[in-house]
Amino acid sequence: MEFKDVPPVKEQLMKCVRCGKCRSVCPVFTEIRNETAAPRGHVFMVQMLKEGKVDPVPEVYERLANCLMCETCSVNCPSGIDIHELNAAARSYIYENNPSIAKEMVFDTLWTHPGLLKTSTTFMWGVQKAGLQKLGRATGLTKILPGDLSKAERILEQVPLRSAKSILKENNPSKGEKKYTVGYFLGCGTDLLNPEVAKATVDVLTRNGCEVIIPKSMKCCGLPHIANGKMDTARKLAAHNVKIFNAYNFDYIITDCASCSAALSHKNMEFLLGGLKIEDEAFAFSDKVMDLNKFLIDILDIDLIDNKNTEPFKVTFHDPCHLANAQGIKAEPRELLNRIPGANLIEMNEANRCCGGSGTYSMTHYDLSMKILDRKMDNAMATGADVLATCCPSCMMQLRHGANRHNWHVKIQHPIELISDHYSKTPALKK
Amino acid sequence: MDKENIKSELIKLLGKEKVMGNDLDLMYYSYDSSFLTKLNPAAPFAVLFPKSTDDVQVIMRFAYENDINVIPRGAGTGETGGCIAVEGGIVLDLSTWDEIVEIDASNMQVIVRPGVIHADLNDQLAGYNLFFPPDPGSSKMCTIGGMVANNASGLRAVKYGCTEQYILGLEIVTPQGDIIYTGGMKAKCIKNVSGLNINKLMIGSEGVLGVITRIRLRCWPKPKAKGIAMAVFDQLDDAPATVLDIYQDGLLPSGIEILDSSAIKAVNEFKPDIHLPEAEAILLFEVDGNPPSVQYEGERIKEIAGKRARTVEWATDEKRMLELWEGRSITATAAARVRPDGSRIFAGEDISVPLSKVADTLRAIRALGKKYNVQVVNYGHIGDGNVHTAPVINPEIPEEVERVLKLADEIHLLAIEMEGTTTGEHGVGAVRRCYAELEHGKAHEYMKQTKAAFDPKGIMNPGKLI
Repeated sequence: MEFKDVPPVKEQLMKCVRCGKCRSVCPVFTEIRNETAAPRGHVFMVQMLKEGKVDPVPEVYERLANCLMCETCSVNCPSGIDIHELNAAARSYIYENNPSIAKEMVFDTLWTHPGLLKTSTTFMWGVQKAGLQKLGRATGLTKILPGDLSKAERILEQVPLRSAKSILKENNPSKGEKKYTVGYFLGCGTDLLNPEVAKATVDVLTRNGCEVIIPKSMKCCGLPHIANGKMDTARKLAAHNVKIFNAYNFDYIITDCASCSAALSHKNMEFLLGGLKIEDEAFAFSDKVMDLNKFLIDILDIDLIDNKNTEPFKVTFHDPCHLANAQGIKAEPRELLNRIPGANLIEMNEANRCCGGSGTYSMTHYDLSMKILDRKMDNAMATGADVLATCCPSCMMQLRHGANRHNWHVKIQHPIELISDHYSKTPALKK
Repeated sequence: MDKENIKSELIKLLGKEKVMGNDLDLMYYSYDSSFLTKLNPAAPFAVLFPKSTDDVQVIMRFAYENDINVIPRGAGTGETGGCIAVEGGIVLDLSTWDEIVEIDASNMQVIVRPGVIHADLNDQLAGYNLFFPPDPGSSKMCTIGGMVANNASGLRAVKYGCTEQYILGLEIVTPQGDIIYTGGMKAKCIKNVSGLNINKLMIGSEGVLGVITRIRLRCWPKPKAKGIAMAVFDQLDDAPATVLDIYQDGLLPSGIEILDSSAIKAVNEFKPDIHLPEAEAILLFEVDGNPPSVQYEGERIKEIAGKRARTVEWATDEKRMLELWEGRSITATAAARVRPDGSRIFAGEDISVPLSKVADTLRAIRALGKKYNVQVVNYGHIGDGNVHTAPVINPEIPEEVERVLKLADEIHLLAIEMEGTTTGEHGVGAVRRCYAELEHGKAHEYMKQTKAAFDPKGIMNPGKLI
């Protein structure tokens, strides 16, 4: 498909009136303060690409990539433009004209083969365990890493040895009467970096009448690929996952990762696979996809029995962009936290403002990402919370780094971990 | 001096971090919110980011000596191409110079640099129970410098007026690089009739006379209470007649907004849940002040509007006020979405006419829309006769562009015919300059001479306003 015929480019581009509302909400623009970082500037550059007034060259990519893809601009756009989709389409167009072996290795080879991805995190674990990461920093060896990676490697702290997939079984029967058969989309971030979250997800779901199946051959949701100009690969991954999950007869497909549920949503399937032969299958798949928080509230209506020994704790919640902006899910995680006995939810200022992590953005734009993170941490720390809860592996990684930067001793946890913890102390009554 | 040499010299004068010269980066400064620059973006050959009056003085002296055009820019939210280098030149991006220099609560004044965002200023002033009343729709992104340069206002202009009423004094760097202080920039008095009023001349001068580098603003105490009334009319003429009735009763609401049938339809199509009643016009009144006076005025509005309106509702509780106001607040957005393959166009969007001619004007605009086969949505600040027309077209179809430009031209001419003006609050810029002579006659010559007195070389924002 020619660039000018890509749906958002064809249908939405001309709607931008450059009103500048996006300037007032964009976390990157707030820090940079010049028009090259304004979302409407990105839209303008996409128009220039479409009209052939600029060539699809790396210099244009570089500017378009200075965007978190947090979708804050899109949800605030008076003209209803999906600015992030325009940006993603343009990055893909430029990448196709400027392929890179390094990117192919990362996104086509490593990130499409879960086994290889796991091997690389195991290697990272070994490096950290042997103290080589710290040694590298002390000797200055990490400085030879390309670009911002020399600084951004610090974000990757404490990679666990075992992945969730290696710990959890493929079939996890319901404890008690079965209500639903649930497919668990176990995303890369949860699998490799936060296996405790996956364990908690399976624990809570099975305690609440769900048979949980984790299809082992699932692959990445494709969001990192969309953000990095690898749209074709994202399409292939989406099609693969659609086939894998549709082979089962799931009542729901649940994921604890905000980015995964956004990537698997109807809207994103339309963006990736709309108009292709697989479209109907993709929609049948995406219509079953639901964020874990929403599932626990809207479908299971989870009830947590108070334990008289429950110790009160203060918790604050950071909205992942892919949950709040991409899916409009804000109330459910809060409702969930409020149902946990002992939890005292304290709202932070700007809870729905990006933490600056945004998948690979913190790796490619480390300094700017830290400025955005520092604002988030200031807001979070002001609550005096014991727990900073969120539901996205990228946010969790970024926020952990933020807590370290600010010497703040706080637990960064997914709400599901808190619920599982509660169950471990006081088993819930079966509903 | 060629462009590359100019950039090198500017870097020597200001430092690298204050000079943008990459051709690709400069393209981002080729547009504002005007339809003109959507069709014909025009990039400058450098963008500068001054952070002090000295910086601006250095820039102006250099530009004057080398005959280089200088175009001041705030947030680039204008709808007239006013901050675009339509005749080439260097752009001063003043939006990052955003210091609130002093909040003088005891004298109800504040001094700011030009890049302060309007909403941010009011957030700061709220801590002192003060506010800066002009309220453009672009409050969250527009700068105070841009507001002064365009004499901006908003829906509360009916009671609080325009920016000019709040500017006590300015610091200006002239095209030759002189620093001058106008009005009470160096004084704290409220009343001041000393000298020729250059202060007023600068307000709304759209950057053609000099660069605004410091602004002393007068602030007002924040009102304690608010109420909203919505009146629904079956006859269009009853809407402006009701506004007159309200005024004649001695009432002065803080805002009086109109949605005509096209806007009501657009809102209902975009958000059916709002259920705006089908009607020829809807008026929304906002009243603010102390609680007893708000209640009294609200009751009077209900009684007076009820004589002509099909229904009138008055609300003071927050939830209901938001519901009533939602129709107005989403009108601009709804207009943008009224046609799936279309876009709202900023052209012919800001005429202002006498109150007695609002109904005739709205009818005439609808007829022009039919004549050019262009969907139009009309809304605006009827309290001061300011009509916002939103034509909706597909800008990628050249024939539609041609038709909408003719429509905009006729709307501007209609405004003059109705004893009004081509722009109530958005400004002239490059897009309405062609009507200057028609609107101002001989006075236009005096405007040119005034410009020449300040800017004999014509380097300040050429191609705009006059």
